[in-house]
Amino acid sequence: MIKIEKLEKVYKTEEVETTALNGIDLYVKEGEFVSIMGPSGCGKSTLLNVMGLLDKPESGSYKFIDTELLTLNDRERSNFRKRNMGFVFQNFNLIDELTVFENIELPLIYNKVPATERKKLVNEIIERMNIVNRSGHFPQQLSGGQQQRVAVARALVTKPKLVLADEPTGNLDSSHGNEVMELLCELNETGTTIVMVTHSSHDASFSNRIINLKDGHVISEKVNKSRNEELI
Amino acid sequence: MFKLNLKIALRNLWRNKGITAINVGGLAIALAAFILVMLYFTYETSFDKTNPNYKNIYVVGRIYPDFKTNYTPPPLGKAIKQHFPEVEKMGITKGIFFELVLKNGNNTVFTNNFLQADYTAAEILDLKPTGGLEKPAGDVERLSYLSKESMKALFPNKTDNKPEMVTVGSSLMGIKNKINGSIINNPHSNVTFDGVSIGNELGQGENYGHNNYTTYLQLKPGTDVANLQEKITRLYHAELLKGETDRETIDKIKGISTFLDPLANQHLKPKAGNDAPYKILIALSVLGILILIIACVNFTNLSIAQATKRAKEVGVKKVMGAFRFQLALQFLTEILMQCFAATVLALILAELVLPGFNNLFLLKLSIWHADNGLIWQLPLILFLITVIAGIYPAMVLSGFKPALVLKGNFATSKQSYWLRNGLLVFQFSIAVIFIIGLFIINAQLKYMRSQDLGFKAEQVVYIKNIALFSDPDKFEPVREKILKIPGIKSATVATGIPNGTANGTNTYTSNGVQASINYLDVDFDYFETLDIKLKEGRFFSKAFKTDTANSAVINESAAAKYGLSNPIGQTIIGCNTNYKIVGVIKDFKDRGFENATQPTIYAIKDPCGNPKMEIMLKIEENKMADALAALKAQWPEINKLDGENFRYAFLDELYGKLFKKQEQLQSVFFAAAVLTVFIALLGLYAFAKYITNGRLKEIAVRKILGATDVQLLKLINSSFFILVVIANIISWPVAYIVTNMWLKTFAYRIDFPVLPFVTTTLITLLLTIVTVSIQAKKAVNANPVDALKYE
Repeated sequence: MIKIEKLEKVYKTEEVETTALNGIDLYVKEGEFVSIMGPSGCGKSTLLNVMGLLDKPESGSYKFIDTELLTLNDRERSNFRKRNMGFVFQNFNLIDELTVFENIELPLIYNKVPATERKKLVNEIIERMNIVNRSGHFPQQLSGGQQQRVAVARALVTKPKLVLADEPTGNLDSSHGNEVMELLCELNETGTTIVMVTHSSHDASFSNRIINLKDGHVISEKVNKSRNEELI
Repeated sequence: MFKLNLKIALRNLWRNKGITAINVGGLAIALAAFILVMLYFTYETSFDKTNPNYKNIYVVGRIYPDFKTNYTPPPLGKAIKQHFPEVEKMGITKGIFFELVLKNGNNTVFTNNFLQADYTAAEILDLKPTGGLEKPAGDVERLSYLSKESMKALFPNKTDNKPEMVTVGSSLMGIKNKINGSIINNPHSNVTFDGVSIGNELGQGENYGHNNYTTYLQLKPGTDVANLQEKITRLYHAELLKGETDRETIDKIKGISTFLDPLANQHLKPKAGNDAPYKILIALSVLGILILIIACVNFTNLSIAQATKRAKEVGVKKVMGAFRFQLALQFLTEILMQCFAATVLALILAELVLPGFNNLFLLKLSIWHADNGLIWQLPLILFLITVIAGIYPAMVLSGFKPALVLKGNFATSKQSYWLRNGLLVFQFSIAVIFIIGLFIINAQLKYMRSQDLGFKAEQVVYIKNIALFSDPDKFEPVREKILKIPGIKSATVATGIPNGTANGTNTYTSNGVQASINYLDVDFDYFETLDIKLKEGRFFSKAFKTDTANSAVINESAAAKYGLSNPIGQTIIGCNTNYKIVGVIKDFKDRGFENATQPTIYAIKDPCGNPKMEIMLKIEENKMADALAALKAQWPEINKLDGENFRYAFLDELYGKLFKKQEQLQSVFFAAAVLTVFIALLGLYAFAKYITNGRLKEIAVRKILGATDVQLLKLINSSFFILVVIANIISWPVAYIVTNMWLKTFAYRIDFPVLPFVTTTLITLLLTIVTVSIQAKKAVNANPVDALKYE
């Protein structure tokens, strides 16, 4: 589904140039769950940002199904993003002024989904995420695990083709972290493609394939056999 | 989507109640000031605008080599109308500037300003008697109208529009006159009056020497005014030169030209007059606009200082596919809401302040008046301030890069630091100028109130009078009757009272020097009544027979002017009289503090002088009430002409009116100082908040490394301290020049003080430290771990 070729991204400050991505090639198949791992500064977050169209690389190609995304302008990128992608962040990034329900509803509004259908979709996902009794609460009133579940719900409510997760368990304790990982697996099993950046090999073990980055290169790729066998 | 955005906005504003209040409140206060300025501007620039021919009406004036005047002779207008077809209508008016007493039974009104107008002038000026403008019959008939207020006072029960008879002057005199009806006196016009008398033609038989009329022309639309002006000058010369042969007179006449001055300019910048009101209005408008812009910029700064709190929202929304312009529109809408709230608040504030404002400037402005222009001005202003205050924050906020802000680390650019520093310095500079100005005005007013005037206006009662007392023998019986009343110490009559009005000037010669000096005609006890100090010689005295013939008293300035080192006994010649100087008085401030005492000669007999009418009495303070009551009771007997119309004023109050203008200025400066300081502090508050927000991590790290609270407060304060010092230094020369210019308008003034400069600096620094510390205290007191956790 995703085909990335020779992607380069350089961060420039007044004195230093940092090469974050140094000619990365990468593919992701539809329905895959890919983990990206690597030490700090290896470029994994940059890669995820580029994949999420939040950042622009200097050169290279990024094809989603058969559409080249790097030539799109800002408006087209926004449009593409809201129709095809969902995001889960390490620090949840819920809007503090909105309730759980309203937070989840927000992407639907941007996709111009009619109100009655919005209500139906949000309620469905709230039920599925097991946070029904929390729907009127504000984010600060929830635990970290609950907040991340809301964030996942928000990422899924538009039924995106691709979910990008940036260290989704980074701010959670292990039991809450596992809950979220299981949630992502369930999601993957229903056919959603997932790309996740993580530090934790435990989390990575939930995925089909693990890509290791270092200094902006892919240094190794490992297919997670146990998980793939499970799949079969 | 709008509903959700609205929810976010309202919840956000509510969560930051304090900031919201400061932001909206600050804008509202500046806007209220601006609304007042706007009302005032509209009012001042729309005099006579209700006149349908407003744009085509001109006043004819004349230019002498050394002055300009609107006074013109009656034949000039006639000649203009005769010769130039582009003049559609011509009319003349003349004022009567002495007080008329009108009575109907026990109801009395006093009119000070009875206007005489010919019929066409009444047409041109759109004078509207109730029931419409009527044409007088023949040459003699005059139709008289009284202002509605006066008519109501004289005939409270009158409902019809029929003519009434009124008594003019005291009832003993029994002069009756007909009043044809009432007329609206529009105070928002250049032509105001207590009453109008309309005739078909004014000034019959008067010639080109009778320069005491105002000539109005109504021109046909599209007339070349400059060309007409030249033609009128040529006509005026031709008329004056008829039969003139004397070379010198001819040259003199040719030196006079005429001008046409639009009615629209009469109120603010008449050619024959000064344009100070216009300049003041412009200065005030600029100040109003400046205050509003600064308030908007402060609003912007405070909004941006709050931006960190909205960064995540922007990031999340962008990730979900919001377009930048959607977000920009959202923030603009939020700011529009706040500006709208500020506008409503400003209207309320303006309404609250307006009575005081009207009182100070003797106006009757109202917000709820359809013709003041606010109806279309306010929405425009709302739109403008939203754009000025909102565009920048909307751009900054909607421009956040989601990839950065969602990681929690972001910094706003440092490029705007210079701009912000500059703005802060600018705001404080303006505030400092007003504070220094206020201090100096206060000092000068205090000086004026405490300074020895050279005479005592206290307990001197001035009596309004229409009888002429030029002959001392005629006043003597009046004086005798007055002095019989217990408590009255002295009584005198003169051609003028020391309330700031200018005396007449005439040419006198003494010691071989010919000079134009002031003269004032007095009666016995003038100097004693006013407690004026004698320098040498003596005052006038009944013991000297010659005093009513040719004795004169001069003041110090006059002695100096003529170079008289030993004036007593010397002769001074003027008005065909050889006066003998019998006394020299010390100069006294008869014309207030703005005008220097002029060289003046005082005489009892003066063939050239005006009639003596101004009666002054010195009354013991504790018998004042009784004495005034007795005077009122006995006045018909003492002074038949005024009879029961006994009217008086306290001289110290009349003299006090000379301070009115300065007191107005003081109030304006007080308001401006408070406003500009407030706005500068608001700007400082926003800036300090912004800076401390940006340095939270630094503060936390320093604290962990052992910095004390005081050290941290010092650290944050120091940069602002320097900025405010710079602002002070920049303002000093400006404040010095402006206040010095103002002080120079006074003949008697304080030495230029230094203290206001020092005090102002200390005050602004103190306010700065308090404001910044309030803001910094929060950051300093916070748990350092909280600041670092965001990493």
